[in-house]
Amino acid sequence: MELGGYAGRYLRVDLSSGKVWVKETPKELIRNYLGGLGFAVKILWDEVDEHTDPLGPDNRLVISTGPLTGTMFPAAGRYQVNAKSPLTGIWGHANAGGFFGPELKFAGYDFIVIQGRAERPVYLVIDDDLVELRDASHLWGEERNGRFYGGKTTFETIQMIREELGDETFKVAAIGPAGENTVRFASIINDLGNAAGRTGMGAVMGSKRLKAIAVRGSRGVRVAKPELFMEVVDDAYRKLLVDWGDALKETLTKYGTPNLVEAINAMGRMPVKNHWTGYWEKAHLIGGERIREEFRVKQASCFGCLVQCKYFVRSRKEPYAGIYKGPEYEALVSFGSSLLVEDVEAVFYANHLADLYGMDSISLGMTIAWAMESWEHGLLTKEETGGLDLSWGNAEAMVELVKKTAFREGFGNMIAEGSKRASEIIGRGTERFAMHVKGNEISAQDGRAHQSSGLTHATAARGADHLTSLSCLEERGYEQVAAERYGADKVKDLVDPQSTRYKGWLVWDLEMLYALGNSLIICWYEVGWPPVFYYPDMARAAAAATGIAEFGDPNEVKRIAKRIAIHRRMFNVREGLRRKDDTLPDRFLKEPMPTGPAKGHVCRLHEMLDDYYEAAGIDKETGVPKDETLRELGLGELAGRWR
Amino acid sequence: MVEGVQNLLVIDPDKCTGCRICEEACSFHHYGEFNPRRSYIQVLRNDFEGVFIPMTCQHCGKPLCVEACPTGALYQFGNAVFLDKSKCIECKQCLNACPFGGIQVDPVTFQVVKCDLCGGDPQCARRCPTGAIKWVRADQVGYQKKVDGAQRSARLISLIVPQG
Repeated sequence: MELGGYAGRYLRVDLSSGKVWVKETPKELIRNYLGGLGFAVKILWDEVDEHTDPLGPDNRLVISTGPLTGTMFPAAGRYQVNAKSPLTGIWGHANAGGFFGPELKFAGYDFIVIQGRAERPVYLVIDDDLVELRDASHLWGEERNGRFYGGKTTFETIQMIREELGDETFKVAAIGPAGENTVRFASIINDLGNAAGRTGMGAVMGSKRLKAIAVRGSRGVRVAKPELFMEVVDDAYRKLLVDWGDALKETLTKYGTPNLVEAINAMGRMPVKNHWTGYWEKAHLIGGERIREEFRVKQASCFGCLVQCKYFVRSRKEPYAGIYKGPEYEALVSFGSSLLVEDVEAVFYANHLADLYGMDSISLGMTIAWAMESWEHGLLTKEETGGLDLSWGNAEAMVELVKKTAFREGFGNMIAEGSKRASEIIGRGTERFAMHVKGNEISAQDGRAHQSSGLTHATAARGADHLTSLSCLEERGYEQVAAERYGADKVKDLVDPQSTRYKGWLVWDLEMLYALGNSLIICWYEVGWPPVFYYPDMARAAAAATGIAEFGDPNEVKRIAKRIAIHRRMFNVREGLRRKDDTLPDRFLKEPMPTGPAKGHVCRLHEMLDDYYEAAGIDKETGVPKDETLRELGLGELAGRWR
Repeated sequence: MVEGVQNLLVIDPDKCTGCRICEEACSFHHYGEFNPRRSYIQVLRNDFEGVFIPMTCQHCGKPLCVEACPTGALYQFGNAVFLDKSKCIECKQCLNACPFGGIQVDPVTFQVVKCDLCGGDPQCARRCPTGAIKWVRADQVGYQKKVDGAQRSARLISLIVPQG
């Protein structure tokens, strides 16, 4: 039978020599690593090591799709960007929606491996079988007298490339000035406002002098068993539109992720003032209800999605006036409550600038939050900030810093390093205000109000992150889902945000599940929250799409997911990470939550960590996956080499 | 009542979110593959301001493509326009005549193709999750749009009309 779902070939681009190869996607890579994230784990393990400079030519940028990408399975329109991270120095990846991922598959490629460094700025054009590198000097900025000039924004770049190629239907992923300037959390933006945001993938692209990738494809995607696959699609539609229909209509579909602001604030888990507390009495000012009533002008969607959480807003207030892609929950927190900025229109604008210049809104906002708290404690002076008053809530200073960071101007040059590096450079005790794990700024959850989210932050491979293993069972009290998956006897603890019982096992289960989601690739907003699809659904879809019978066994896809997650952890082990690195800042472990519904609680990480290691087959002393775990997953050659 | 196709594809850009499920459904129905560039319906988009307009054959009442066709391959049947490939000589006159891009050239075969309403069950309308594309009997379209219009104006004066 024909192998469906996959394009069956991939691209390797060496920017140093300007050479491009089209190669067959190895069958054993497909069988063992499935796609997307899985592909990247294997490739980066083989081609990058602990000596690789993330911003050097030897780092690899792997842009990957999965077997469901471009099909009609709901929300299979995303793609993965993976590389060793310049922000953290360890495993890095980001995942973005929009339309770029499917187009890459339609052009006939499962993934692209980009290596080397171009002598002059270039962009990559993929037009079905025609692949070429074009000069991008006119899109790239330049440094004169120590200042950075020009550098087209992501939106300008996408427009200009479409005009040059004479077809506005080219899907383009580009970096902005921040990527060119290797801001350590620079993002890649595709299709005007979809961000592969976290861990500085845009900086990797910038270090390679690759400004953009433009794709057009007409080869399409064929699945192995079309009729069966459409049955799977129909079932998935039914689950989303009927079983979960009412829930979605009142939440994500109606408000988008801003809906979370009110809900998460109500559980006392919404970061306020640089994670100082988890409750803000002014949350309604940046909340989903207000945004929908006063600013929302249009609903939007990524490729092939039924949830359709994207939206546009209009601000009429100068200097922020304009029509923008609406910010997600994370950006509302990082530019809003984290900085005590009450002006939601300033948040829209800062988020828009982050997209234009190409920066991760989470790391950017949270690094500014570090600066504001350091300022509050008198640890930063006006000379250092270039005259900026970094008082809490100063929206103007926030917007100014966003701009300066992209161009590494003045104090922006410090923010561009991320909170960990910046606090180490400045010292003077500002380190204790850097809210990061493994160098990655902590996303908008708080382990003191939601214990398992603390474990997620502490253990996630790309540093503090919610999308690796965050459990939403507690957030919304999904008792039925918890009972079906894990047994009725465990429900009480599972849906209790303050219980640490079973949470180590839960987080590991979700880490595997989301690794599977990121490999197939389907969106977190139907796997994570709401928790619609589980291993059996994914196995069925994978088997019908690919025709690989083994993928139809939920236990086998779970084993593949475990292989991906464990091998990814081994990437960090090789970089020197051990149990001691799976931790949180003292704020979460020692400072009780000062206000709100979770007042008085700390994150009891130690009560969950051993369970997590045990569930995952990781040695509790060292944090290194056990030899028997590696062998069981077919990774025997890795056994015994790291202690 | 007219003979032949009595329904119209009614498209409301206001409701379109640009998800392109219509393109996926169309290409899968006609070619057995997911390939939006072969779809007979395409969502035009302005991603700066969030404007999405699904466009396909308008199935005109006085179709210029039918007039331009020298072999009678294009013909009307009720409210619809169809292409009989057995008579088509690929002269592309229809392509030039149509003001809406309702006729197109397939990127794989390089032959003239157009919307055939999926034999009476248009997959774009069936799969559209927002109701932006509907398959409605022609004489019902006006009423349906009156309902939509009334709800819109009611919202403007802050009256809530239940969705029906």
